[in-house]
Amino acid sequence: MTVNIHHPAPSKHTAKAKNFRTSVERDLADEELRENFRGAMKFLSERRKSAFPDELELQTLREQCRLIKQRCLLKLPYLLEQLEDNLTRNGIQVHWAETTEEANSIIQRIISKREATRVVKGKSMVSEETELNAYLEKFGIECLEADMGEYIVQLAKEEPSHIIVPAIHKNKYQVADLFAKNIPGFEHTTDVDKLINEGRRVLRDKFKHADVGITGVNFAVAETGTLCLVENEGNGQMCTAVPNVHIAMTGIEKVVEWLDDVPPLLSLLTRSATGQAITTYFNMITKPRQPGEKDGPEEVHLVLLDNGRSQAFADEELRQTLQCIRCGACMNHCPVYKRIGGHAYGTVYPGPIGKIISPHMLGLDATKDLPTASSLCGACGEVCPVKIPIPKLLLRLRQESVKVAGPEETVMGGEGANRKTTEALIWQGWSAMHRHPALYRASMWLATRLHKFMPAKIGPWTSVRSAPHIAPKTLHELVAQRKNTRAKP
Amino acid sequence: MSTIHSERSGARGRILEKLKAQVAGADYGKLPAEPSYAYPPMSRDAALARFTECLQANHAEVIEVSAETIPLAIERELVKRNISKLICGQKGKFSGSLESYFSRSDSEGIELVKYDFPLSDNKSRLFDEAPASFTHSRCSIAATGTIVLWPSEDEPRTLSLVPPLHFVLVDTHKMVSDFATLLKSEHWGAELPANVLLISGPSKTADIQQTLAYGAHGPKELVVLLLNNNTDKE
Ligand code: SF4
Repeated sequence: MTVNIHHPAPSKHTAKAKNFRTSVERDLADEELRENFRGAMKFLSERRKSAFPDELELQTLREQCRLIKQRCLLKLPYLLEQLEDNLTRNGIQVHWAETTEEANSIIQRIISKREATRVVKGKSMVSEETELNAYLEKFGIECLEADMGEYIVQLAKEEPSHIIVPAIHKNKYQVADLFAKNIPGFEHTTDVDKLINEGRRVLRDKFKHADVGITGVNFAVAETGTLCLVENEGNGQMCTAVPNVHIAMTGIEKVVEWLDDVPPLLSLLTRSATGQAITTYFNMITKPRQPGEKDGPEEVHLVLLDNGRSQAFADEELRQTLQCIRCGACMNHCPVYKRIGGHAYGTVYPGPIGKIISPHMLGLDATKDLPTASSLCGACGEVCPVKIPIPKLLLRLRQESVKVAGPEETVMGGEGANRKTTEALIWQGWSAMHRHPALYRASMWLATRLHKFMPAKIGPWTSVRSAPHIAPKTLHELVAQRKNTRAKP
Repeated sequence: MSTIHSERSGARGRILEKLKAQVAGADYGKLPAEPSYAYPPMSRDAALARFTECLQANHAEVIEVSAETIPLAIERELVKRNISKLICGQKGKFSGSLESYFSRSDSEGIELVKYDFPLSDNKSRLFDEAPASFTHSRCSIAATGTIVLWPSEDEPRTLSLVPPLHFVLVDTHKMVSDFATLLKSEHWGAELPANVLLISGPSKTADIQQTLAYGAHGPKELVVLLLNNNTDKE
């Protein structure tokens, strides 16, 4: 079987992901940031817990949803064709993009063809993945983020630090300062109601005048050709009902086979994400404006993006990565994410899901530190609603990153990027030593005799710990000694 | 257009080809059985209680009405809020009774406006001049306190979205226990309208420091008029 390895175009994320270690140092030192994350993670994990009072229900739903997603992935190419057929029959235009650049260019051309310049966008992580805003800006198209959290992040010229709650790294004081700097006539307040009201005022005006609305997709139903959107604010509904054009963009893995697949997935998604039984809005779009209708878009487009997903798909174990429904529970329960926050990862998707999906999008060379940034505590795998074995996949990616890369990549872009000759030699020696008893005893004898020469500083290990002491005698020697003394009456 | 098309078909072919190569040997006849959780059945009263409880927890107001008192209930709520204008469709079951009620000579001076204009040329009429709206609903879901709308020519998508106060009529005889049951009983898989909307409260956000605030982009207030004629009970 041939695998086409994904070689992504360098993006700002590629560069950022490479600086993981320095970003971690920076963000760990930021007390305010750590406080913001600590509070938010506690809140979200408690919310999730209270949403699942019945353990049997939770486990049945998780198993059901895992199997639904695995079935849909096994049929993925055929479901995508069926989805396209049904959407086209419904009057929705379907576009395919292998790379982020292609997706952006498709969207820009749809917008430019309408001579539109004012675009509003609902929350869409895929549009973050393609860096759509910056791309459109080059063509003089203003693309305004309409989700409150995304809007805040856009004003701050930052990126989202969480896939569900984009501005989770900011507190209300920081938001108030940001509004004061950017919104003319804003009366300074740290009252959250008033802050939201201010955002509403600004964004309502934008919705009113927007030519094009862009959104993501939570589930694309092949059976009916329906795009489903999950949200609380109503910004998605605004984007899909008010402007004359609606462009939805999504990764190819979001397709489900039946409408009946939606209720269990939806229930697990909202409960895992924010502890809600359902979100305020669940929006199902099947057709553009029909004759006689007074609102809704005249044109609806769907852009299907690959960007490394088909590479993950090619390996049965790594394919499980694509089961993800983007609930964010894995990051909410991750001890690493909780401490370093979302920006340190440098990738669009932070936290555990980011560590397993980003290597396919950016290459393992740009993301080689990410799979190692885990204590393998297992919390992510335990809360994941579709039972992705995240810790196992992290181990697999670690292996891919240190393996001997052949002349051609066989599993993924950048495989073998973390392989270090000395490290490899040490492990080879270690393995040989454990396979040959004589060699083992000899090395142990030598190590214990030389224990006094153990250096006090051994690289990063001793930056926060003291170096281990080697015992003057091996356990074998001690046991033998003890036997000897006992034997003598 | 032609350039978009050719590029798109190239990407399409390559993506599908890659995926198909990986599942070539898959045996679709032997997929594992998918379990589903058997939720205990809900009595009508329990369903109603659950529905109301969920909506109230989500900050919606629930008012019981009878067919005759719908206009009166709306009027009372509008007067309470100092609002003198209501926008609605004209073909729904209760649109007529709203019209005759609000056009009576001794009314509280509430103006009833029809959503009979295309939105694109009349944005202000909805965004700036419509403080409250009224819609019917198709059915409702007890388990999550959800109201199902099928927007139409008569009651467009934005009618329930743009005005800051939304009144929605829910006929409790059309309440189902959960979403999965609804899809099955109504055979939604066969044909869906252009847009279906499930609403479970007023618009909200917790995007600033996990503090809930209502009226992010959609209605700040949702008033659910529960039409609960107990006639066929017992
Ligand atoms: S990996 Fe699992 S827990 Fe994490 S976002 Fe995806 S579905 Fe949620």
